[in-house]
Amino acid sequence: MNQADIPFLAVTELAGLIEREEITPVDVVEAYLKRIDDVNPKLNAFITVLKEQALEEAASATSEIANGGYLGPLHGIPIGIKDQIHTRGIRTTDASKLREHFVPDADATVVANLKKTGAIVLGKLNMTEFAMGDPITSAFGVTHNPWEIGRNPGTSSTGSGAATAACLCATSLGEDTGGSVRGPAANCGLAGIRPSWGRVSRFGVDGASWSFDTIGPISRTVEDCAITLQAIAGYDSNDPYTWNVPVPDYRRALTGDVRGMRVGIVKELMDPEVCGVSNDVRDSVLGAAKILEGLGAIVSEVSLPLTTISGVVMRTLTSTERVSLNPDWLRDRPEDFHHNTRVAFMTGSLIPSQTYYKAQKARALVRRQVLEAFKEFDVLLQPTNPSPPGIMDLTQGVKSKEQAANALKESNFRGLYSLTGNPALSVCCGFTDGDQPLPLALQIAGRPFDESTVLNVAYAYEQAASITGTHGHPPF
Amino acid sequence: MAELSNGDIKALGRAVNLNIQEPELTQVAYSLNAILEGMDQIDIPGLNSVEPLPIILPEGSVA
Repeated sequence: MNQADIPFLAVTELAGLIEREEITPVDVVEAYLKRIDDVNPKLNAFITVLKEQALEEAASATSEIANGGYLGPLHGIPIGIKDQIHTRGIRTTDASKLREHFVPDADATVVANLKKTGAIVLGKLNMTEFAMGDPITSAFGVTHNPWEIGRNPGTSSTGSGAATAACLCATSLGEDTGGSVRGPAANCGLAGIRPSWGRVSRFGVDGASWSFDTIGPISRTVEDCAITLQAIAGYDSNDPYTWNVPVPDYRRALTGDVRGMRVGIVKELMDPEVCGVSNDVRDSVLGAAKILEGLGAIVSEVSLPLTTISGVVMRTLTSTERVSLNPDWLRDRPEDFHHNTRVAFMTGSLIPSQTYYKAQKARALVRRQVLEAFKEFDVLLQPTNPSPPGIMDLTQGVKSKEQAANALKESNFRGLYSLTGNPALSVCCGFTDGDQPLPLALQIAGRPFDESTVLNVAYAYEQAASITGTHGHPPF
Repeated sequence: MAELSNGDIKALGRAVNLNIQEPELTQVAYSLNAILEGMDQIDIPGLNSVEPLPIILPEGSVA
């Protein structure tokens, strides 16, 4: 195999070649490092590339496999890690000047678990400062969308989306507070799942908002996403909020059989008048629903009126929680924040306690309404974003109250499941027309801790629609 | 509800030991007023009697 072709293979394809010893982990890591050298300067997806360490680990993996010690589908696979997740001996910056020299002395549980499977950490991925929702705030420069330079790659796991889509790593980890796994997956044409809150340990992950933060994979296919999730899911005594419930075999759950499955399309998020969804996004999601119906699913509409408040409720809570993590930084070193982060953190500092309390009450009602819907439906469908990836505004500042209010409204799409803690996955469901196609995305949510069903519905759709592969890779 | 002025924002900032100046001052006012207005418009019957719970999900909701 030509080494230049290696980075374009899915994890499942790479794993087969590695297991059969047709290629070695050293071949794979060298191919990815070459591609990072060629492409990363244009995208700025990595903050730190671990060239020597990755090559050393690849050599060890090659030797282990040659000696009959193949560990499974991630053995020798290069993975990128969002720079919010601790890596022992390797700086973890949160894309902020305030953390530019922070070097953790231990791996986050998710990183340790990945290493146990034989995965090779290729580097630390760019993000927005402290995982905020603004794409231009990284102290290490803006990350670009590989589908079109200048477009928003999706926040806050910007590098996880851009690097995975541009084949600079085989799969990646992001962190989803208000949609930061699903947003980059959507904008970069990938599969990304926010697991149930409590499914994956957050030990060793810098917090954004304690009651929302969830670690999840961003991958090029649903099956790769399932493989990556398998490695990180499960109870961790170091994270008291992980639930001690069994972790199913996610890959085995990918049967593609959705016959008889009850699928609800969330009415409010499909209505341009209510939540501002664009026609191309709406049509692509309806097209996906038709495909699922053709596969035997029973599709109908469901109304969740409280969807329309989920954005403002989520932002009220996350804005308050973010600042409460390190309030002294804003007082002592305000100049070290990006301007937009500083404005957001100052705003969060001033939210009245009664408003925060009201938001917590509203959150309980939103959750109740969503859980009620899952008595009738197995999964819920809706767009991940209201529109295709937009052009990034590189000028700093909040321009008007209307702009701020629109951002809250846009948060309804991903904020809903951030509030409720249900698993939610974004998968590519088409592209815009024109010379420079941009990805469109479908969001599939499931019952708490039922990632298997969510992944299987996404897999069934992905296989039937042939989205992956047909549209190829970004133009790099 | 009445919008908070820049002077109000400055005073609220002082109360939490933050010295908020321009250009942040006006932008914090935009952001905070958008949030407060959005939250003020939430009027769900029975909201006041709801117990605000953290994220922990009810046992019965686990698949």
